[in-house]
Amino acid sequence: MLKISDLRVAIGNKTILNGIDLTLPDGELHVLLGANGSGKSSLLATIMGLPPFKVTSGEILFDGTPIHDMDIHERTRLGIGMAYQRPPSLEGVSVRTFAHALGADAQLEREAAALDLAEFIDRDMNVGFSGGEIKRWEVLKLVLQDPLLLLFDEPESGVDLEHVTAIGDAIGRVVRTPDGKGRACSGLLITHTGLVLNHVSADRAYIMRDGRIIHSGDPAVLFKHVQTQGYTAPAT
Amino acid sequence: MNGSTEKNSAPDLSNEERDILLDVGFADFDDRAATSILSDTDVRFTGSNDPGVEVLPLSEALRTYEFVQDLMFGLVSPDANEHIAMVAEHMHDPLGHFTWVKPGAKVALPVQNFTLLETPQARQFTHDITLIDEGAEVQMISGAAVPSQVHKGRHISVDECYMRKGSSCTSVNIEHWGVGMDTYSYGYARMEEGARSQSTSVMMAPVAMQLSQSTTHLDAHANAVSQAIIFAGNGTERVIETDTHLNGTGARSEDVSRMVSAGGTIINNARLVGAASGTNGFLGCDGLKLTNRGEITAVPALQAIAEGSMLSHEASVGMIDSDKLNYLMAAGIEEDLARNLIVQGFLSLESAAIPPQLRKRIVDLIAEAKSGGM
Repeated sequence: MLKISDLRVAIGNKTILNGIDLTLPDGELHVLLGANGSGKSSLLATIMGLPPFKVTSGEILFDGTPIHDMDIHERTRLGIGMAYQRPPSLEGVSVRTFAHALGADAQLEREAAALDLAEFIDRDMNVGFSGGEIKRWEVLKLVLQDPLLLLFDEPESGVDLEHVTAIGDAIGRVVRTPDGKGRACSGLLITHTGLVLNHVSADRAYIMRDGRIIHSGDPAVLFKHVQTQGYTAPAT
Repeated sequence: MNGSTEKNSAPDLSNEERDILLDVGFADFDDRAATSILSDTDVRFTGSNDPGVEVLPLSEALRTYEFVQDLMFGLVSPDANEHIAMVAEHMHDPLGHFTWVKPGAKVALPVQNFTLLETPQARQFTHDITLIDEGAEVQMISGAAVPSQVHKGRHISVDECYMRKGSSCTSVNIEHWGVGMDTYSYGYARMEEGARSQSTSVMMAPVAMQLSQSTTHLDAHANAVSQAIIFAGNGTERVIETDTHLNGTGARSEDVSRMVSAGGTIINNARLVGAASGTNGFLGCDGLKLTNRGEITAVPALQAIAEGSMLSHEASVGMIDSDKLNYLMAAGIEEDLARNLIVQGFLSLESAAIPPQLRKRIVDLIAEAKSGGM
């Protein structure tokens, strides 16, 4: 579904991603591990097409189509969606209004209830939401959007333990459930704590450092390594 | 029926008149506590379904009730400015609505007052007086409109509102003048002890020039909450000036304006004066520019005179936040729709202050204005 080759990304003249290679097949969930500033969020934002990230070389292929020159909306039409780490507040735009604009009225109440967000339907998006509520809303947003490729930027940070389970279950459900056309979805997820991995099984993990992927492998093994050795490449 | 007053019967309106009035909040006579409709130089209809409310043409009210002459120009001098002098001097027979909500009346249905200007290039000078008597409670809906073929003309109005002790009023005003018209409105209000008002003003339709000046004086423990949404497309200039005086201990006010320029000019000068201890006031003036043309000027001014007066303001003017736009687009919403959602959200009003029947209409007005459909 997603193939990234020798990707270099800059903000202005500063290179922040340097030679990223990553392949994400249909139906798989991959995990990015790395310290703050290692480039994880920049990679997700670049895939989504968000400013100010500029691809300076390399390519991003989605189903074989280069997307790095596409605008955000073209990428969403292909089936890419992203749960933000720190989404902006949208005063006056309720969750219900947003769902209506997406054409997702029918799913809203059921999916909101599943994420314990039923009472948020008539609230303005991200206005007065707690950290955990924002994360649950971001997952709900993706459920409503129904993309093929789901990008999760720190979905469990700031979430209390009780709701990490709900978040993890929801991520598992949305990634492992085929999209509206019956095609298997894929996910790319950033996690600091790894707690979410207790509730959703990942297929592959990457360790990022200084804008590069320095290692990839089994998620459980790599996360255990990170917990003891930090964000380093395990000895082979 | 020109100039006549009818009781307990529906106003005789043409289909076009009904349509343009519906646009600014009109509802059938039976669905309102009282109705008053003024067109060009005549009060076309006044009527009441509620013994707690009386509406009359101002000229008739002056003849009927001796006290009305003391209310007229009681809050503003007839020579306060050139326009008000024109209103005062042009009226051989004063033209306007007189609305009286009787002492202690709890009026269940809204009272509606509308002004039409139906003759192209007409000059209309009106004077409305509202008396909400002691302990009375009322919802008021007012509006101004023109037929689609009227795009030039001038309207000058003076509005005096007296809220007696302990009274309460929730009001909504929607203006839909002609695209090339000049309108000047001067509003004055006196809120006595413990009076409460919650007003909503909707200025979305194109107009060449609109000046809206209002002055409100609040006595002890009076509470005024106002919200306005103001839109200016190409060719529209709006100047909004508000002056709020917290004169009595414990008086409170909150005045919030949301302005959107899509090429037009909006100037919002708001002043809040804390003249007594224990007063509390807030001014909020936020502007959103949708294009590089046009301008928004927001000038909130605070003047604390008495010790213990707590006044604050917030003002911002800017373009649409690209982070918000990108966020919505990344969620699969097309750019134009994403912009509309942000603008509509920015202009969204505190709906609890708006009669339920009008909420959808106001949302529609915002969408129409943004799309240039008005």
